[in-house]
Amino acid sequence: MSRALTSARWLVALAALALVGFRPEAAVVGSAVADFRLRDVTNKAVSLADFKGAKGFIVVFTCNHCPFAKLYTGRLNALNTKYKALGVPLLAINSMDTVVYADESFRHMQRRAQAEQYNFPYLHDARQAVGRNFQAAHTPQTYVIWREAQAWHIKYSGAIDDNGAEPGRVKNAYVVRAVEALLAGQPVAQPQTDSFGCAIFFRKQLP
Amino acid sequence: MTTKNAPFPGLLLLFLLLVSPAAFAQTYNTLWVPDTLSGTNFNLAVKDTFAQLVSGNQTITGGLNRSRFWGPTLIMNKGANVQLNVTNKLNDTTTMHWHGMHLPAVMDGGPYQPIPPGTVWRPYWTVRNQAATLWYHPHLHEMTQAQMTKGVGGFIIIRDAAEAALALPRKYGVDDFVLALTSRRFLSSNQMAATLSDNYGDYMMVNGTLNPQVSLPRQVVRLRILNAEVQRGYNLGFSDNRPFYVIGNDGGLLNAPVAVTRLTVHTGERYEILVDLTGSAVGASLFLKAYNSTAEVLATLPGTQTGNAAFGFPGLEGRATTPTGNNGPLNGSLLNNVDFNVLKINVVAATAAPRTTIPATLINNTYWSAANATSSRTLTVTGGQGGTAFSFNNLFYRKGVINQTVAYNALERWTITNNNIFGHAFHLHDVSFNIISRSGGTQGTTIRAYEQGWKDVVWLPVGGSVTFLAKFEDYADPTWPYMYHCHALTHEDEGMMGTFKVIGTTTAVTAAARAAAGFTVYPNPAQSRLNIGFNTPGASAYYVRVLDAVGRTIYMLPRPPLQDGIDVSGFDRGVYYVQLTDEKTRITTTQKFTKE
Repeated sequence: MSRALTSARWLVALAALALVGFRPEAAVVGSAVADFRLRDVTNKAVSLADFKGAKGFIVVFTCNHCPFAKLYTGRLNALNTKYKALGVPLLAINSMDTVVYADESFRHMQRRAQAEQYNFPYLHDARQAVGRNFQAAHTPQTYVIWREAQAWHIKYSGAIDDNGAEPGRVKNAYVVRAVEALLAGQPVAQPQTDSFGCAIFFRKQLP
Repeated sequence: MTTKNAPFPGLLLLFLLLVSPAAFAQTYNTLWVPDTLSGTNFNLAVKDTFAQLVSGNQTITGGLNRSRFWGPTLIMNKGANVQLNVTNKLNDTTTMHWHGMHLPAVMDGGPYQPIPPGTVWRPYWTVRNQAATLWYHPHLHEMTQAQMTKGVGGFIIIRDAAEAALALPRKYGVDDFVLALTSRRFLSSNQMAATLSDNYGDYMMVNGTLNPQVSLPRQVVRLRILNAEVQRGYNLGFSDNRPFYVIGNDGGLLNAPVAVTRLTVHTGERYEILVDLTGSAVGASLFLKAYNSTAEVLATLPGTQTGNAAFGFPGLEGRATTPTGNNGPLNGSLLNNVDFNVLKINVVAATAAPRTTIPATLINNTYWSAANATSSRTLTVTGGQGGTAFSFNNLFYRKGVINQTVAYNALERWTITNNNIFGHAFHLHDVSFNIISRSGGTQGTTIRAYEQGWKDVVWLPVGGSVTFLAKFEDYADPTWPYMYHCHALTHEDEGMMGTFKVIGTTTAVTAAARAAAGFTVYPNPAQSRLNIGFNTPGASAYYVRVLDAVGRTIYMLPRPPLQDGIDVSGFDRGVYYVQLTDEKTRITTTQKFTKE
């Protein structure tokens, strides 16, 4: 193999590493996340601490305009119905930049929650601080967090399941499996899957 | 301004791609033929969507209007005044470049014309190109690969009287087909990988169809081939080694058809070929194939260079034996270094009034004489070693930097030299050029017969140098540049791109004249139309942007014809701003108005 070829490969490898380095990577599974306090579409402030006795949460970063995120509306209601009763409520968070996307305004969130009859809190992360804290990269990226030693730990990060448009053909319901395992006191077999959908662009933060 | 996504079942109609290519490679899917849009007014809504490309989860893609991967074919007539209305409904900023089109820089859609999400960009121009196969694609710096990987792009077919007078197939989707060749690598989530190491796909796609097959009538058929790859070159031929006839390339028809058995097509290049199927039996099948194995490529090209294969590295790096997916080798691919099928062709009965012969001659192109060139410039491929990306003349693309200034109407001789480690596909915006010499590399001094004629992309082999003539006619602009760049998408995204301005002689503005022509907007409040009145007689607008109160861009209007005002009927109530750049002074001033 020529020296030139080797250096070209090294270059590409380096470039690939650089690119990955600049991308917001999902918070590491196992790490702890801080509680937060966000306004939901009924104008009520919601924080994790409000849910006395919750064992964990399904935290879904979603938005109003993303076609792939919109496919999951019915499944989010079903997840919340089933697991809220078992101590694992679902919280949906919109961290999209409302300056760039008119469709992501609080008013549009209210309309969407009403039109789709969301049965879970739909929270507005107006300052993008919570999305940044979770390092959420796309909508609909989902986390399962669990209470351990008085703190909330990420136990799963990634897709809700493995078929967006055809719920009947889902083979691996990642979030369901993660929550079921945690409820049974078992480790999550597949703690991380690809994050994809519509990118969440975080506004530049001044120091 | 909103368009509903096509309902999901529409996806199934468009993409009958219900099987995994890995599991059932012998199953073929019907080639998707893009819709056509014709006339003078073209609406393109670029959007995020998804498609059932492989079994299991859907793949997130970029569609245009009703399509879910790759867009409609725009059919334009030479001489027509065309208006394009591009609405960005992506989650991200984009641009739309009219590749191969001769037009003003401010309409070109390169990296200087970013369209934010939710914005409508309205360029227009007079079609001056002759009959040719052009295309459109996003060109946002550092995002071109990502957005093209999602499938944003489409063909433009230009028709003219000279082409219409020839006995050529031109029934779109019947005996005249567009073929956008590309390939993709799929992650385990079925998403398409688009990092800088995803240069070579594992699975071949034509017009977004995996494992495609098409029924072609038993007659002479025209195929308009585009290499829409990230980086791979194709060494095309038919499985029975039949000769076929190249009738045109990037800028239009050749003087006469060129008979070949192999045709090399690099990123961004287009070739129109005629295939004579009159000798094939109805029911017979053959393949359009890429003969990309080293032996084939080297055997078909003259001047083989020791140590490097004919395409430089593209297509000849790291063959993988399993799908590269999430953890593939950096430049590996199932399709590297091998011959593979591009398109299965099933011969069916001839149509009524079929074309059955190959014309002996086509059109009379008049090329410039090198002796008349008034200036020369040279570009050298640099970088690519020691951990740096590729560049021209050791300069990476930087917005705001003008690398070359060309005099309006100049006939120039450009020499691009590639004494580097990798082959590159050099693309020039605005004008077509004519190759006058080559030297070095695998091609040596050979200018292939099918490379003659009008080109806007030229292959630079490793160790090779190319000289072409280009005349920068019709359009000059002291403000906005055009681009030249490598059409390997990862290379251009990393900065292998430069800018050039075409400067006229009469556009200089004296210091005394450097005052903005003031303007007023009326009626204010406005209900349906907002009129713009200049305080100086004869003043006009170089650029108008309409912004909402938050600062989101609603309209980007290059050189808008303002006699009928601006349509604001679809706006929500509220306060808006008109930012107007004066044509003469290029000074921008702002006025506020209220929509009732």
